[in-house]
Amino acid sequence: MTTQSNYQGSVYILPQAIKTVARNAALQSYGVISLAPANPAETVSRFFKKEADVGILVNAEEDGVSLELNLIVEYGLRIKSVADSVAESVKYSVEKTMGIPVKRVDVHVRGLRISNPD
Amino acid sequence: MNDIYRTLPDEAERHRLLQSPLNGDGLMLLFEAGLLWLTTNQQYVNSLNVFPVPDGDTGTNMVLTMQAAFAEADQNRSTNVGVTGRHFAQGALMGARGNSGVILSQIWRGFSRALDHYETMDTGLLMRAMQEGRNTAYKGVVRPVEGTILTVMKDMTAAAEKALKENTSLSQMLVAIVAAGDESVKRTPELLPILKQAGVVDSGGMGLFYIFEGMLRMLQGLPLDSSGAVLRPLAELDLSNALEEIEEGQDYEVVIDFAPNGNFNLENYYDRLSDIGTSIQVGEGDGIYRMHIHTALDKRYEPIAYTESIGTVKKIMMENLQEQMNGHAKDENKLPLAAVNPGEVAVVAVSPGEGLSRIFASLGVAAIVQGGQTMNPSVKELVAAFENLPTDKIIILPNNKNIFLAAQNAAKVSAKKIAVIPTRNAPQGFAAMLRLIPDGTLEENEASMLEAINEVHTGEITIATRSVEIEGVEVEKGQVIALYDGKLVSSAATIEGAIDALFQQANLDAIERITFFYGEGITQQQVNKLGDHVREKYPDKDLEIHEGGQPHYQLIIAFE
Repeated sequence: MTTQSNYQGSVYILPQAIKTVARNAALQSYGVISLAPANPAETVSRFFKKEADVGILVNAEEDGVSLELNLIVEYGLRIKSVADSVAESVKYSVEKTMGIPVKRVDVHVRGLRISNPD
Repeated sequence: MNDIYRTLPDEAERHRLLQSPLNGDGLMLLFEAGLLWLTTNQQYVNSLNVFPVPDGDTGTNMVLTMQAAFAEADQNRSTNVGVTGRHFAQGALMGARGNSGVILSQIWRGFSRALDHYETMDTGLLMRAMQEGRNTAYKGVVRPVEGTILTVMKDMTAAAEKALKENTSLSQMLVAIVAAGDESVKRTPELLPILKQAGVVDSGGMGLFYIFEGMLRMLQGLPLDSSGAVLRPLAELDLSNALEEIEEGQDYEVVIDFAPNGNFNLENYYDRLSDIGTSIQVGEGDGIYRMHIHTALDKRYEPIAYTESIGTVKKIMMENLQEQMNGHAKDENKLPLAAVNPGEVAVVAVSPGEGLSRIFASLGVAAIVQGGQTMNPSVKELVAAFENLPTDKIIILPNNKNIFLAAQNAAKVSAKKIAVIPTRNAPQGFAAMLRLIPDGTLEENEASMLEAINEVHTGEITIATRSVEIEGVEVEKGQVIALYDGKLVSSAATIEGAIDALFQQANLDAIERITFFYGEGITQQQVNKLGDHVREKYPDKDLEIHEGGQPHYQLIIAFE
């Protein structure tokens, strides 16, 4: 949980909310096809989870959050450029909309989707 | 220009290569033209970035991607468009930089897939290549955002489809593609609110447009290396750094808003203006054109006369840049005062001279109030200095006995917590500054500084303003007198004599370092001579000489 204060009191932002923002930013980023389960345990538990939970881990730290993204990327793209862009994009969206500093974004490419055979 | 650019073939050769249907060499010429024109406009595309992600430098990223693509195809030249396209796409993929570069590489990937196994390209194949490029690019994103490079590609493809039905030539199809791209880029702010807020068009879409416009310009035989005459939307005219671009002799900045008469030719306008001055920019918005130019003093009315001849002048702004530059230079001379955070201890120092102020600033003083022997700052000035600092823990160094009272009164008046350290002179102030711990409490700092000011002894050399006898020392008006820790110790005919007498009074055994701060009424040469004299007599002491700039006292001397 991330806490911020304003004049009236405190604002609590739960990881779930951060995940939703991160997920949307990731899926709008070019080359990202979907999010992927981070580990076998998540593969099993995804049946019981809401969609926004899959593939994104949020770690709240004292002065911000760190994120882990697990992605399926389009085959035939320069993976490094895609990963760099999605990391920047997610960091920007989370910081801009929630005002929480993002300390780091780790991108794990879990697989590629081939939609353009050539 | 970059090494990878060959000399373009001459006009006859170009004409031959660009015959429809296009072969591999002709396609390469088009790719090269796209790269050249994009490179020419690279900085402009970079300037369209509205948010720091995903691309820091869209123009640069697209140019690098195109360069990689062109280099790969250049190494594997073929007269076959399929082979040429495949290598070009391969290069784009490997060299894709940034988000827009990745999308561009996908466009070329689809584009080249359509060309596979074809020897030459006609209008039908170009249209299919555009379609494949569009489809492939859209497959790379789950939730496409419209108002981007994807939208521009889509609209240009639609134009190619329409042109094919109208049975056009290859160059006519490219004209239609470029026109549709232009329209589409202009529409991007309507589709993507963030662009509208920033008042720009999409940078990736703009870059893609330039690539195709470059191809068209090649077909039309237009130059690809000059974008001097570019008309920009008014909002994009950046005149803020105009001052940095000022050239020798171009002293005046003239900005004219005007409405041109019917047949306005931008290139001619630029040409004529470039005879008059430099840093020319022209922008357009709502039918009003704005022209910006730097000219020499004697030519400053020429842009106005010329603009009046081609249209109606609405508004003229003229500014003397040299004056502005001087203003800027003055600002830069400001003292590098310490930045203070709320809650920290800040120091306000009263300083009699510029050199001394600089030293105070370098030691971490947060504010300086001018004042000294006969020019005491008012309580009001001191209070203002306190109130302007973003902290409520402040130390004041009066640096002159005559200012103690004002400092104490100011401390009482201010709502902040103020500690007055009774420094009688600049050296004591410096000694106090060396003890400053901004993170510490006001009390700790005060105690530490009070201790410090007793560890430094001060000598002062000045000229007597009247004849007097004090503490057994007789002084004639106009004589040089020496004070040690504020007490008159000797009078002499020369500064050298006064210094000798002063040094005899000072307990030099415990002293390691002597510092001279020289003020008004003495030249640097004289000071250096005195320095030599002191070094000769006291070779085991370190002597430093600084410009103090204080009035009345030729020398302030610190003994530490």
